[in-house]
Order: sequence, then structure tokens, then C-alpha cells
Amino acid sequence: MSPFTTLGLAASSLIERPLRTLLTSLGIIIGVAAVYAMLSIGEGTKREVEKQLSSMASRSFTIWPDWNRRRTSQSKPSFPFKESDVDEIRNIAGVFAATGSLQRNSTTISTEIGDTAANFLGVDPDYLKSGGQEMLAGENISYADIEQSAPVVVISDGIQKTLFKNQDPIGLSIKVNNIAFTVKGVTTAPDSNISFGGNADMFVWAPTSSARNRVIGGNPYVRNHIRSIRVIGDIGANFPKIEQEINIIMRRSRDIKTGAPPDYRIFSSRGWQERNAKSQKTISYLLAAMGAISLLVGGVGVMNIMLVSVTERTREIGLRMAMGAQKSDIMSQFLTEAILICVLSGLIGLGAGYGLSQISLGSEEIKMVFSPKIALLSFGSALLIGVIFGFLPARRAARLNPIEALRHE
Amino acid sequence: MKPPLIKCNDLTKVYKMGQSEVYALNGVSLEITKGEFVAIIGSSGSGKSTLMNMLGGLDKPSSGEIRINGENLGTMSGKKLARFRNATIGFVFQQFQLLPKKTAHKNVSLPLQYRRPKPDNIDVRVKKSLEMVGLADRATHRPTELSGGQQQRVAIARALAGSPQVLLADEPTGALDSKTSKAIMALLQDLNRQGITIIVITHEDEVAAYAERVIEFRDGKIISDHLQKAA
Repeated sequence: MSPFTTLGLAASSLIERPLRTLLTSLGIIIGVAAVYAMLSIGEGTKREVEKQLSSMASRSFTIWPDWNRRRTSQSKPSFPFKESDVDEIRNIAGVFAATGSLQRNSTTISTEIGDTAANFLGVDPDYLKSGGQEMLAGENISYADIEQSAPVVVISDGIQKTLFKNQDPIGLSIKVNNIAFTVKGVTTAPDSNISFGGNADMFVWAPTSSARNRVIGGNPYVRNHIRSIRVIGDIGANFPKIEQEINIIMRRSRDIKTGAPPDYRIFSSRGWQERNAKSQKTISYLLAAMGAISLLVGGVGVMNIMLVSVTERTREIGLRMAMGAQKSDIMSQFLTEAILICVLSGLIGLGAGYGLSQISLGSEEIKMVFSPKIALLSFGSALLIGVIFGFLPARRAARLNPIEALRHE
Repeated sequence: MKPPLIKCNDLTKVYKMGQSEVYALNGVSLEITKGEFVAIIGSSGSGKSTLMNMLGGLDKPSSGEIRINGENLGTMSGKKLARFRNATIGFVFQQFQLLPKKTAHKNVSLPLQYRRPKPDNIDVRVKKSLEMVGLADRATHRPTELSGGQQQRVAIARALAGSPQVLLADEPTGALDSKTSKAIMALLQDLNRQGITIIVITHEDEVAAYAERVIEFRDGKIISDHLQKAA
């Protein structure tokens, strides 16, 4: 019997028993959909993690004094950092940039046009560069500005829109808490990975010295204090090592005794991202297990139905043998039937899996990716199930004795 | 004298039932020539069905030799036997054994689907077979839409479709009323007159009456073999 005729025979046998075919295929459909979902979540997670880990935000640490702690018995508030701390950290191997900043949230920024609440920061030239921000107009803050404590600022485009009605603000005057500065440059707002709470578009950056001297004020304990330090590592740098070195520098600078808890904290979005990746991996293993179990159960279902089918059609098998069907003809007839149902279910399952992945595209937590490799793999597992679980029933059919089969009631 | 189409020589078939051995066939020798219409009669257990299974290549003898067209069935492989059944034998069964969900046309085409190489004129041959049994207009009907007699005609058409050397009919009228039985036997007789060798297995004398030659079995042996004037 030609392969084409065998296929037609298998197809008509499935069509002749629609309900049974549908029920049998359900297990395989669910299994393949789960396998597909699992693989595409895994792939999506991998790509997302790669993307996140190569982004600027994931390569950065931010160091803050621990405001919640008081310094041992002296009951003094936690010290801010010194500018020299930044210089030391900048020299650690694998550090791409280190920059110190001062910050005052909710300052009032005003021009002739109006006023708004904004984040006011004192920064050095590296700050804007290392934050991945783009200069839109004018110039960045320079070291000369810091040295001279120049009354200049760089503003975010949000400020430009609100307080300058989008006209060119370079050289114009702007007031920070009623203290006059001159606008030197316009830049984009920092990306959302670095959270400033409210006023996410409203930023004014001044040189550290002028911000300290003119707006924020000095610190009674530390000369030339710095509120926080941002450290950016090189791509592929050994981040735990960098963190360790930062700790050594900070403990020495802040005179923390061996074994005493630190009075500062190092924040890194990297750890959070890695935990996130891990939890997605767990989801994907869970789905893998579900898919495998479903495929297995589905496969057993296929085998069961094929065994029933062979018993039911014993007389048909006997007749076909009497008409000249060879064992291989009978074998391939039933094997084809099992494979066909698995392949069709596999296709439907792929469709369902693809649909699921389209739905999940809107969700932030789960990333799914379509790839032909994944489709082929989940489809291949359906095919394999068909072959494995179709074999036994098909062999049973092929081994029937035609005389007894013809007499079967 | 033509060489025999079928030649059996001292056939035995032994079944082991626990310790004892039961002889379903015990030393059967016979020859059947091409174009004969033979009835094999006997009560149940006489060995006639065993002989028929052997003639049809569905069973092998315990000893002895069975040759059809000069080929020794006893030494054939399963694959060769399947080919032999397909090309040389046309089966007609008591219970018709039609595939219930397939049309008459599909049912009749069954032996041709297993023929190697696949013939390219299957449809023509199926139509011709259905014509021979007078059911050309029922080709698209399913067995459930046909009467018992019509179903058996479809089965006969199926047996004929492969252009076999021998038509083996096992109690072909066993499931039919007497009027339909007569029509079916008349059909077989008619087909025999067209040159087809027919062997009918039956326990009814009325059925055997249509044959030219009657071989009677009892306890695995031939007890009589005679020619008669067919009814």
C-alpha cells in the first residue's frame, strides 16, 4: 500500500470517530502548548536578562549613607561621603566611571514664565555621561565649573518645556529656591531605572561645589561632602569583586572597625534582575514539567485509544490480511494513525502556544519569544510521542492471526 | 488433461489440546482443476474450514504439501503468503466482512489497494466487478444502506476485483434467507460459467447442489468426492 493511501486511510479513520479523535488529541494539544510556552518563556527570559545585564543601569551601584542607622555610641547621624571617596573608587579595576552627587528633592525652580517643583542635584561632569543621558543643547558641567563654583546649571528637557516654553534656554537665567543660575545645557531625563519618585522629568543639575555652597549647604562633619556615589562597571566586569573593593575603601574612609556593620548601603539593580531571571527560570522549569507530564499523559491516552481501536477493528485487520495486506501494511496503518493524531494535535498545540505567547506580550513579568527552533522542538516532541506510543498498538495489530481476527466478535 | 490448479498431498493439521493431539485434517489429498465449481461439505468440526484456511494461505499444514499454481504454500514466508492471497485468492465470508463506514466502491477496491505494484486502473476494475454482481448502481452506498443479499454481492465483487485464480467462499449463504441464498448461488454459478474456479464451503446440501463436484469431509478426512449434475 502506498504511503499516500496509508495516510488517507489513517485520516479517514480519525474523521470517522470525531469525538474520540478530539478527546485523544486534547492531552497532546495541552502538552505541546505547554512545551512551547516553556521553551519560549525560557528563551524570552534569556534574551531579556542579556539585555538588562548589558544596560547601564544593571552595571551600576549606588552608594548611600545608611540614614536608618546611627553611628555606634557617638549617636551622630551617618556621615555623607567625601569627594576623595569618589576618586578612590574611580581607580578600582573594572570601574568604568564613578561620580558623586548632592541632591535636594522638591526644590522650587522658577523663571519669568513660571515655577515648578524639581529634583536639584550637584554633580560632576561624569554624572550625566554615566547616566546614559544625552546632551540636547549647550554643554555639560565642567571641572572648571566645579573649581570656580560657577552658578551654572544643566536642565532636563522637561524643565525646558515647562519653564522656557521650548525656546532656547542657553544663557538664560533660572532660579533655584530663589538663587539665580545660568542655564548651560539641556539634556534628557535619566532613564527610569534610577528612581527619583515624583517629578521624574524635572531635573536641574549644578556643579557639586555651587550646589553645595549656594543651595544645599555644607555638612557640619564632612568638608566637601557628597550625598551619594554612583559607580558604573565595565561590561562584563567582575561585579562582586568591585563591590568588595568599594567596601574596603568605604570602611577605611569612614573608620569602621572590623566586624562592625557598615553605616552605608550599596544598591544594585543587578541582584534584583538576577533574582527575577531566576524566578522566571523556575516558572519555565515548572512549565517544562507540566508540559512533559501532559505530553506523557497524552501519549498514554493515544496508546490507550489505539489499543481500543485495534481491538475494535480486529475483524477489519483480519479482513485486510485476507485481502493481501502484509504485516508492514497493518503496522504502518496504525502507526500512521497514531502519528497523524499527534502531529495534528501538535500543530493545534503550537497554535495555542503561539496565541498564549501573543497574549503574554502585554505582560511585563513573562517574556515569550517565537522562534522556529522552539516550534520545531515542541512539534518534534509531539511526533516522537506518536511514534513511541503508537508503536505498541500497531505491532499488536500487525501480529494478529488473520483466522482468529476474522472470527472476532 | 490440464494440470491441477490446486494439489494437496497427505495434508494434516494437528492442534495440541493440553496433552492430547487433535487432528483437524488427517491425510487429505485432492486435486482441483481450473474452472471447477467445487462444494466442500461436512458438519462443523469436520475439517472443512481448516482446509479452506490452508487453501487461502491463512494457515499452514502440520505436514503434507499444498501447491497452488505449482507454488508450495507451506514453505512461503508471511510476506509471500500475503502476496499470494492478494493475487490468487478471492475470499467470500459468511458474515460478508465489509467495512461498515466505507462505500461499496471502497470496499470492493480493498484487494487492489494492497496489490504491488499499485494498479492504475483501480476504478475501472471496481466498476467492472460491481457490474458482474449487478450492483453498478450501488457503488456509493454504504453496507448499512444495503440488504444482506446486496452486501454479499458487494463482498463477491470485492473477491473478484483482484482477478483471482480461485474464489473461496466460506458458507456464503449462511447469513441469508433461502430466497437470497438461491440468488447468490446462482450468481456464483454464473461466475463459474465465465471461467472462474469456485470453492464453496458449506454444511447445507442445497448450497452444495449448485456445484459440479462435491467433496464430503468427516473427522478431518475426505469420505466422498463425486461429480454431479449441477442444479
